[in-house]
Amino acid sequence: LKAFAYVNAANEREALAGLDAQRGRVMPIAGGMDLLGLMKNYIAQPERLVNVKNLDATIQASATAGVRIGAATKLIELIEHQGIAKNYPALVTAAEEVGTPQIRNAGTVGGNIMQRPRCWYFRNEEFHCLKKGGARCFAVEGENQYHAIFGGGPCHIVHPSSLAVPLIAYGAKFRVVGPSGERDIDAGEFFQLPADNLMGETVLKPNELLTHVILPASTSMKGATYEVRFKQSHDWPLAMASVVMTMDGNRVKSARVVMGAVAPIPWRTEAAEKVLAGKTITEAVAVEAATAAVAGAEPMTQNSYKVQVARTAVKRAIMRAAGLQTV
Amino acid sequence: MRQVPEVRAAAVPAKHEKYPWPEKPVLLSTDVKRLDGPVKASGRAKYAYDIKRPGMLFAKVLRSPHPHARVVSLDVAAAEKAPGVKAVLPWRKTGEKVVYQGDEVAAVAAATEEQALDAIRMIKVEYEPLPHLANVEQSLRPEAPSVFEGGNVKVGAAEESGDLAAGFKAAAHVVENTYNTQVVTHACLETHGCVCEWNGDQLTAWVSTQAVHGTREGFAKALNIPITNVRVITEYMGGGFGSKFGPDVQGIICAQLAQKAGAPVHLLLDRKEEHLATGNRPSAYAKIKAGVGADGMLTAFDAETWGTGGAGAGSGYPLPYIYQFPNRRRVHKDVYINAGQQRAMRAPGHPQGCFITEVLMDELADRVRMDPIEFRLKNLPEQAPNAMWKAYFPIAAEMIDWKRRHPTGDPAPGPIKRGLGVAANRWGGAGRGTKAHAEINPDGTVIIRCGTQDIGVGTKTIVAMITAETLGIPMDLVTPQIGDSNYPFSGGSGGSTTAASVSPAIRVTTGKARDALFARIAPQLGATPDALTVADGKVSARGGKTVSWKDACKMLGTEPIAVDGEWEAGLSASGTSGVQAAEVEVDVETGVTRVKRIVCVQDMGLVVDMKTATTQIYGGIISCVNYALFEDRILDRNTAQMVNPDMEWYRIAGMSDIPRIDVRIMNQPERGVVGIGEPPAVSTAAAITNAVRNATGVTIRSLPLTPDKVLAALERAGGTN
Repeated sequence: LKAFAYVNAANEREALAGLDAQRGRVMPIAGGMDLLGLMKNYIAQPERLVNVKNLDATIQASATAGVRIGAATKLIELIEHQGIAKNYPALVTAAEEVGTPQIRNAGTVGGNIMQRPRCWYFRNEEFHCLKKGGARCFAVEGENQYHAIFGGGPCHIVHPSSLAVPLIAYGAKFRVVGPSGERDIDAGEFFQLPADNLMGETVLKPNELLTHVILPASTSMKGATYEVRFKQSHDWPLAMASVVMTMDGNRVKSARVVMGAVAPIPWRTEAAEKVLAGKTITEAVAVEAATAAVAGAEPMTQNSYKVQVARTAVKRAIMRAAGLQTV
Repeated sequence: MRQVPEVRAAAVPAKHEKYPWPEKPVLLSTDVKRLDGPVKASGRAKYAYDIKRPGMLFAKVLRSPHPHARVVSLDVAAAEKAPGVKAVLPWRKTGEKVVYQGDEVAAVAAATEEQALDAIRMIKVEYEPLPHLANVEQSLRPEAPSVFEGGNVKVGAAEESGDLAAGFKAAAHVVENTYNTQVVTHACLETHGCVCEWNGDQLTAWVSTQAVHGTREGFAKALNIPITNVRVITEYMGGGFGSKFGPDVQGIICAQLAQKAGAPVHLLLDRKEEHLATGNRPSAYAKIKAGVGADGMLTAFDAETWGTGGAGAGSGYPLPYIYQFPNRRRVHKDVYINAGQQRAMRAPGHPQGCFITEVLMDELADRVRMDPIEFRLKNLPEQAPNAMWKAYFPIAAEMIDWKRRHPTGDPAPGPIKRGLGVAANRWGGAGRGTKAHAEINPDGTVIIRCGTQDIGVGTKTIVAMITAETLGIPMDLVTPQIGDSNYPFSGGSGGSTTAASVSPAIRVTTGKARDALFARIAPQLGATPDALTVADGKVSARGGKTVSWKDACKMLGTEPIAVDGEWEAGLSASGTSGVQAAEVEVDVETGVTRVKRIVCVQDMGLVVDMKTATTQIYGGIISCVNYALFEDRILDRNTAQMVNPDMEWYRIAGMSDIPRIDVRIMNQPERGVVGIGEPPAVSTAAAITNAVRNATGVTIRSLPLTPDKVLAALERAGGTN
């Protein structure tokens, strides 16, 4: 663990003043669930940390205008918030399945969205991979059983954020502040493929901060998240899916279907959404949409099973969103 | 590295003449809570990791990132000048080779752990990378580079008995398949390491070890000092499973750094080092052809087997396991790869042999359309005190309600398929050699010392129980002292030998102490020593006086009783039998298996403490659930570097992954004590695999049972949905 300076920011202004335009030199820290591991493994070696735990950590909910969640909100506070549980079940299910009780008690919404990939080639210092400035992705000819089945490379990580998946499905926006002011970015536009951004996973610049997540009102929306994991305690999903459907009576007016742990970004599948539009949900419709969702998958040498796992996650998320029974 | 092999002795010994186990025990075979449970649960127990000495430094080891390389140059100048650094120790000389990722290269002791970590990164090592072998397939290629002296593969002699050709001729069905198990690491909760402190030429080492005496010898030999100059202390240890029998390289490094720095040094490994360099269970592969007669009797078994124990280490395992194939042949080869070396791990070889044989048994049973238990009963060895499977299978069947088992493949609709499976285990578990010292004080308190250690047995608890039982006193008068090489000799805690070594020694020593007490106080009680008995905290003279234990001890005046004793034959035995059954649910749309329940029928001779025996069994079963589903040391096939040297992708069951476990212990008091650490950890994975087969109708012949394997097998069988 390289020695570092520490800035305890009282507010956004102080936090921004502490950041730096050069990637990796200064890093914001909230719960530290991910960052401390990166530092102990010498994957991140910042010179300075800026504590952002004191920034907005509140949840402002209104029945008609949606919800505004401070990025410093802890996952446990999100899970225990009654309005969120009632109106955004796909988000709460995803939050409940994150890590362990300790991680949910200390980890934040912003941290979950901004965490770095869990790819074992990225996390182990021996492998000088593309994401660390190296010449190759070791997963391509190596151990890729947990890697991407979508995204096209050249780096084949899966995005680690479980919250990002339902947030995109709900059509959330992220408020970002930086030296040149603030802006709201569609959650779906926030994450970037390796082809566009190899060294990071989002459009956020090193001197900018993600401060809030803004959810639209969920009137006439039905949503669910389904996560397939190998272990029931502390494990990452093999694949997950969030489905949010805007209903017109029994019929789906429009839907958003997003898969997690299958691509370097949360992977929205418009093919599945098209299948659902205008339909009443039955198991057969769910299977059709799920099959469409994985139709373009490009598995690697060891992970073709993930296509079936992702398909199941989508099918079950659709059925759960519609109130149908699944396992 | 000294390893304790499976120790075998008589199944039922001739009864000890002087101090046989009591026929109506007061404490033995009852539930007694672990004496040190509260200090462990509350964090007050001091493990090697927790030892703090005045002026103590922290050490870190620089390890090779390469699987195979020659050290061209090693420059420690910058590290020596780094902040806080007090000593630097080059371990490899220029020109020497490293043969796996994690091989030790140099070490540093500094004032803080962080400074030591920073400093090892300042050591400049130039390596000449050499060709490496990342897995057995690469080693077995004809064109593989010659990496290991004497060859990459060592072929063993064929084991043969009976007439193989005749056996296959008699077979109505023949099954031919290849089976394999993965490499797993010991994953001790407390990592390997120690704290070393020199006082002149005297070394005291607080070591996380399962052999305080063996580790003392190990230090003396490696440091070239007399054994008398070394003291090893292990009051508590956080798991060893066969991987902690000596000081290890890091222990010697720690002692040398402490000498060099002139200060105590703390060197405990981190999780990554633990996975890379402190041992593992070898992989196993078996290409088998087996025959069965129309009557369900096994006829023939022909196996070509191989496996890897890493860089130059063996990979043997018993095969076939337990069941009787009258005609058989087996040839094994050890395959070497550039990875950390294997060490004994909880029933070395047995989980591999059990998995391969038991899965094959279910396949053969299906060929002759027999119930798997009925099929096993036909092919088991004759029943004996150390071969009780014929009696135990029906008990396990009753416990798990076997009669509800459907034939292979759950016919129920929906993606969740349920199934049941069984498997048997065996182990030696005899003991020998332990010595002990007992003192009865004039105030009635008793000290019993033994240079053993507690690897999880509950050693202190059983020592106190046996002492209290023999002296007829409450346990709270007894202070058991273990985990110090200054105490009387006891062997390493491996091979399930601890209980069977220590228990007889304590029985004999405390029996002798009791006799010595009788001899001293008999005149004051107006009786002869042989007329005295102890029970219920009282000493009674036949037909005469009865006094309380405390009053009896007061008669000693100022001079306590102090006696030495040792293990004697007649109080312990060899050979355990066990049967386990598993119930699983498999989601055939995701390939995810959940273990719902394990039942276990297990003997261990005379049960000393029913409670610690039961918890030992829980631990063994949980470790084997991990073997079945989760644990897997994954090396990158191109670089031979481990991709999951952590607790994230090296999966281990958490609370929610642990099934309900029901244990039925079969007490055999007439046999004396037999160890129990190993056998419960053998057969769970095989029972689970057979249950998955019963649930899904497909056979997974490879551990761990990951979703990709389950889905691939279902796909081959015709798709999932």
